[in-house]
Amino acid sequence: MHRSWLLGCLVLSLALTGVPGLIPTHYLSLSDVARLQSALGQPFTDLESSYYSIVGLTKLGSAVPDHDEVCRFLKSQLDPMSLDSLFFAAEASNAISGCEIPVSNETRDILLAAVSEDSTMAQIHRAVSALSSLGLPVASQEVVAALTARIKKEDNVMAITLALATAAKLPQQAELGAILEEIEDLTARLDDLGGLYLQFEEGLEATAMFVSVAYSLSDHVDMEPPLKEDQVIQLVNSIFSKKSWDSLSEACSVALAAAALSNNRFHVPVIVSAQGPATVSHSQPTLQLLITDVMSQPLATANVLVESAYAVASKSLILSQAPFTLNDGVFELNFMSSQPASGYYQFTVAVTGDSRLVANHVELKVKVSTEVAVTNMDLSVVDKDQSIGSKTTRVDYPSKSKTPFTADSHQNFAMSFQLVDTNTGVELTPHQTFVRLHNQKTGQEVVFVAEPDAKNVYKFELDTAERKSEFDSMSGTYTLCLIVGDATLDNPILWTVADVVLKFLDEEAPATIQPKTLYVPKPEIQHLFREPEKKPPTVVSNTFTALILSPLLLLLILWLKLGANISNFSFSPSTILFHAGHAAMLGLMYVYWTHLDMFQTLKYLAIIGGVTFLAGNHMLAQKAVKRTEKN
Amino acid sequence: MSNSVLSVISRFLEEYTTTTPNRLKVVDAYLLYILLTGALQFLYCLLVGTFPFNSFLSGFISCVGCFILAVCLRIQINPQNKGDFLLLNCREPEEGSL
Repeated sequence: MHRSWLLGCLVLSLALTGVPGLIPTHYLSLSDVARLQSALGQPFTDLESSYYSIVGLTKLGSAVPDHDEVCRFLKSQLDPMSLDSLFFAAEASNAISGCEIPVSNETRDILLAAVSEDSTMAQIHRAVSALSSLGLPVASQEVVAALTARIKKEDNVMAITLALATAAKLPQQAELGAILEEIEDLTARLDDLGGLYLQFEEGLEATAMFVSVAYSLSDHVDMEPPLKEDQVIQLVNSIFSKKSWDSLSEACSVALAAAALSNNRFHVPVIVSAQGPATVSHSQPTLQLLITDVMSQPLATANVLVESAYAVASKSLILSQAPFTLNDGVFELNFMSSQPASGYYQFTVAVTGDSRLVANHVELKVKVSTEVAVTNMDLSVVDKDQSIGSKTTRVDYPSKSKTPFTADSHQNFAMSFQLVDTNTGVELTPHQTFVRLHNQKTGQEVVFVAEPDAKNVYKFELDTAERKSEFDSMSGTYTLCLIVGDATLDNPILWTVADVVLKFLDEEAPATIQPKTLYVPKPEIQHLFREPEKKPPTVVSNTFTALILSPLLLLLILWLKLGANISNFSFSPSTILFHAGHAAMLGLMYVYWTHLDMFQTLKYLAIIGGVTFLAGNHMLAQKAVKRTEKN
Repeated sequence: MSNSVLSVISRFLEEYTTTTPNRLKVVDAYLLYILLTGALQFLYCLLVGTFPFNSFLSGFISCVGCFILAVCLRIQINPQNKGDFLLLNCREPEEGSL
């Protein structure tokens, strides 16, 4: 089942090559590598930490200080009877040159005895590693048999990873086919997080160990590991996303993974990063890229090419298939020679030169910035009815106009200018073009936006009467400033253009202008409970209650007049029961109104009603019998 | 005009008191009581407002219900309708009783 799924994925991934796929978002920068080295280089106190430090540092390519001291430490801490101790010492001494651990027959026997089905996977791994590091012969068939048997019993990720690590230590001729398949199975057990990360739920150490072991085994048997390019990048993201490590073993596993990913025969993820911000301008016309592996080591053989460069705004193709030149370890391209207009450009960069490179198609956003100049700044005061011609004054940047302008409620103040690119002379429309009026006396500041018209000429008009609310009708001298800014401008402009005296009508002249307080506490909201409805005065309702009861009186009087009487009332039990039940029902009605809810009432009504009905039935039957008897 | 109305009313009342049997008058008195009660409730609602609306509804509708049931009773015991209700009211009122 795994194989067919993998085959399908392979076909799909083949179909998708050439499309920029996943790129690594996390890797070890130079400072990260330094931090890892310092984490591993802490002085060690016991054999296990010395193993992690030495092996980790060696894999990172940094030197272990003072080999002799370390060797002496290893020999002194070694316990020749303990398997773990032998493993740590053997591996550490193998990593430093010129350190030999003495081997006795007992040592060899202990190590060989550990290779069996009954030992745990960790024990088998340590024994085989120690045997191979110490140069002792290893019976590979026994080891493979033991491993295969143990894999069935210990199914967890760490155990299988250790099995793979053990297999990598065996000679190439050994039967490693079954164990190689475990790489695929383990790959299937990785958790995909958001399509960006791939890691074991056991954590970072397990993932990093798996990567280093998978590549070492694959290199050993010269077979490509069944990891797709996207999976490799996801693993890179997971392993290098953590920049500070909890334990020495975790740091060591990350170092091993970094070494494996930067130097193996099959997959080498490449990191493309811009040196500094990816910005190009006339003063800095070259785009500089750093091409490194995951440990920030520059790649020895690489050809970098811009496959295509599009302007984001206009989608026009600026560059195609332009190569970068290698200059002192940095790849450079003179982008300004293509004379791009200012703005953002989407680059697709391809790194070639090595068939092992993974994630070598990268998308990069490059900014081309330029400088802006304000030209043709014309200020004028125009009369509203335009009967009097406007007087236009031209002001040159960066000087300020000598004469202040006066505008009262009959006049408009107008300003027009153009913004041009100093290098190309093209008219620009930056994001921020503000006109700020600042009252020197009161500190008021009002900001307006100047808008360009169809010919890219910016115009600003201040209608004194219309805008007086924003000025709080404060007349006075205002300094007029022009603010121009944009992400692609290297020289944002803040230019005090002129002084403008504004006269407003109906000046309220408040003594001090309160700054608009937006962020003061608002008045507290008191919760209003639902107001009970207005009831009529008690007198009215009492009157009407009496009025409603009066027809009852009338009824009794009428009945008495008509001669209705209860002389025929027979005191038999059913009669009494009936009348009592009827009265009880009326009483229940009152109690329902005051105390009970519907369900309780229905319950009582069922009981009383049943009794009343039966009694009433009996009573009427008796009456009928009495009548027929009489007749 | 009013003269004729008054005379019609007085004639009606006279006929009513003489021709209707006592049984029916008892029921009619009950009907009048119910009617007045309902009408007064409605008047209160019009004058003072519909608060509490539930009480008004229950009072008024119960009056209407009682009125209808009493009217049905009256129709059934009316001797002029004897032909429609052959199986009911087979007995004649006794002497001195309804």
